[in-house]
Amino acid sequence: MTENAALDFVYGMAVSPAFPEDGCCFVARTSGLFRSEDAGRTWTLGPGNLDPGAGLAVLAVAVSPAFGADRMVFAGVAGGVLRSLDRGRNWEAIPLPSPPPVVSCLAVSPDFEQDGYLFAGTMEDGVFRSPDRGRSWHSWNFGLLDLRCLALAASPGFARDETLFVTTETALYRSTNGGRAWRETGLPLEASPALSLALSPAFPTDGVLFVGTDAGTLQRSRDRGRTWGALGSGALDGSINAVLLSPEYPHKQDVLVLCDDRLWLSRDDGATWKPLEGEGISAVAAPIGLGAGAFILAGMVEGGAARIPVES
Amino acid sequence: MGALLLSRDQKSAPKPVPRVEFQPVVGLGFRRGIDALVRVIRPTLGPLPRHVALPRATSGSPEILDDGGAIARRIYQLPDLDADAGAMFLRHILWQQHEREGDGTATAAVLFQAVYDGGLAYVAAGGNAMLLRRRLEEGARLLLCELGRQVLPVEGQEAIERVALAICGDPGLANRLGEIFDIIGEYGWFEVRTGRGRDLEREYVEGVYWEGGALSWQMLADRPKARVELESPAIFISDLEFDEPEQLAPVLRAAAEAGYRALLIIASRISDRAMGLLAANRQAGKMAILAVRRPGASLHEAVDGLDDLAHLTGGRPVVSQASPELGSFAAEHFGRARIAWASKDYWGITGGRGDPRGLRAHITTLRAAYSRITGPDDRKRIRARIGKLMGGSATLWLAGATDSEVNFRKDVAERTAEAVRGALIEGALPGGGVALLACRKALADRLAAVTGADERASLRILLAAIEQPFRALVSNAGHEPAEIMAALDDAGPGFGLDVLSGRIVDMAREGVLDPASVQKAAVWRAVTGAALALTTDVLVHHKNPAKEFNP
Repeated sequence: MTENAALDFVYGMAVSPAFPEDGCCFVARTSGLFRSEDAGRTWTLGPGNLDPGAGLAVLAVAVSPAFGADRMVFAGVAGGVLRSLDRGRNWEAIPLPSPPPVVSCLAVSPDFEQDGYLFAGTMEDGVFRSPDRGRSWHSWNFGLLDLRCLALAASPGFARDETLFVTTETALYRSTNGGRAWRETGLPLEASPALSLALSPAFPTDGVLFVGTDAGTLQRSRDRGRTWGALGSGALDGSINAVLLSPEYPHKQDVLVLCDDRLWLSRDDGATWKPLEGEGISAVAAPIGLGAGAFILAGMVEGGAARIPVES
Repeated sequence: MGALLLSRDQKSAPKPVPRVEFQPVVGLGFRRGIDALVRVIRPTLGPLPRHVALPRATSGSPEILDDGGAIARRIYQLPDLDADAGAMFLRHILWQQHEREGDGTATAAVLFQAVYDGGLAYVAAGGNAMLLRRRLEEGARLLLCELGRQVLPVEGQEAIERVALAICGDPGLANRLGEIFDIIGEYGWFEVRTGRGRDLEREYVEGVYWEGGALSWQMLADRPKARVELESPAIFISDLEFDEPEQLAPVLRAAAEAGYRALLIIASRISDRAMGLLAANRQAGKMAILAVRRPGASLHEAVDGLDDLAHLTGGRPVVSQASPELGSFAAEHFGRARIAWASKDYWGITGGRGDPRGLRAHITTLRAAYSRITGPDDRKRIRARIGKLMGGSATLWLAGATDSEVNFRKDVAERTAEAVRGALIEGALPGGGVALLACRKALADRLAAVTGADERASLRILLAAIEQPFRALVSNAGHEPAEIMAALDDAGPGFGLDVLSGRIVDMAREGVLDPASVQKAAVWRAVTGAALALTTDVLVHHKNPAKEFNP
């Protein structure tokens, strides 16, 4: 386990799509955005040109799916979005329309290289949409009755289905027109707030998505959010703060959740669970999947990051 | 056709005399009137309709219409008074269809005529009109059930666009409406306005807005574009009238003590003296203040508007009817929003900070009211409230070479929008009359299973009637109905004529769709209306109908 000296909350993590080759990953923390280029072994404060001494809290981070080519990274902060065009070495601050919203989650279009769409969920002001790689932003909240966003995710088939999901304090919403309008899904009211969500890599064909709730249930829908069923009752007992699926899902039915501050892994699509080692975890990423020999990059509640093997 | 069309200024109708008519005169007279009206409307059925021109009462170009409801509305006195009674009976039904559904009047007219003709023949042959009526209504329910089985959901811009195209036949307009309703949804607030350019333009406004604007020009005078915007304001929601500056003091004090930098005051009226206090605060840089007129033109609308504002912003309305004491007004009674804005004519808010659960419950209540209420004006009012609460509105700007063209296009856009809403709420049916044709098997099966004369007659009447919309549509598109019917029988269930391409296609797969709500309402109104008309035995002409008539 490798830890950083600084102690503060980790809100989110993001890894390069070419992580096995470039080892590049990012951690959003209360004290700022940290960057590693050696697979999480050592970390440096990212926004060096933006006065890191000011202690700019970063609440969300996302990398471009074409990171290897465009080298773009985005971070959500109070008032706007930070954008880096050089793998996180230098940053520019892009304010969102005033009054300044607090960006709590980010989603990048899987077809970002072509369409340049980027989405920012905010703590009180709904979803903002950028059609030009983060240069300009506009709010699009038609149908979004609750503007307190907790998590955002885009369909892997976004280029064709233009589907996005956003969880809020009271509901899960879906957009089928690229984030211009939102409709409430069938997620049971008692399941809200949903803290995390994950879409199947085969979402355009299987329509599967998972939602982790504050009430301690993992909910799964097989029909794009219309109907839901609870998984893991009994085993998972706490807030589901993160959900990760195997990149080969549904062929490999591996599901990882962060329940309270501990990791649980299921190899059978949520039917049975076993805990992984480690606790005090607040954010996770699976840079090389969930198979045997893989490891989890974990951000810790008290700050720092750790590498946790999937199979001990 | 010209002889049948009587415009508003027609003065050649013979002076009526008091008269009582009995059967068979009544039935035959009704049929003449129904035939007259349907002959005018029938050519408008389908996506390739013919137009009907109506001279205006004043000089100018004639009014061009392709909407059965509007055409029927313009016809209100036939010279033959017996026929006029039948025409007016049908006219009322078609106008109801137009008002509630926005489309389907031609289908209803054609169906009505076929059912009435068949029923009249049965009654003339000795059948009982009252028993036939009951059986026809049962048949109508069977038809609705069969149509219900065929309903397809309408989701996404492409599907909405197809439904719109089937109604308006204008690809550009259908495309815009597809995009608009995909964004604003079935209850969304939508307006059509006259534009200047050649193209169809659309504008989306996020949040809620009302007519009224700022209460004082002073608040807009120093602003570019005469528009003022407040960020993160406290919102005082009321319908009060403020005559004295002191009356406003508790509100200003509560906002200042809570640390608000901006305040939106909603009121019925603020006197110049009271407005001076607001201006002084504004000029002193203490607080940005904006005062706007309370929503709604009537008291009823104002109550609704304040209620909606309370849910949107989390504020507590201060209503004049409750004789409020502002001395106890506290900061927690303010509503909150991300932005409040006002111009000369409008004001609005974006990003209300009300409780989402309360807002959702409020919208659910309004939706229930919407489905329960039948009055078109009330329905539109409630729908507008839901649309605003859902978070936004859209305006479509369209232009034309002449006023007639602009008005025609606006009418088409509004009708299509109405029908698209229906499709979003209730789904769509395979278009081109195919959905009704698909009901033939159920009717035939029932016919084979029953023995009662009245029921068998009703089923035969309906079997013949449900072919008529398809035949009219095909004929209007320039094809021979019998040939197409034969081709459809070869093609199998679900296939129909796509009149825009001229091909026999699987209508659902090709996306040739009609709003289910429109089709179902047209069937129900036509069949039950014709069944009721068949029971009319006596017709009393008023001594002076001109004074009794309410167009």
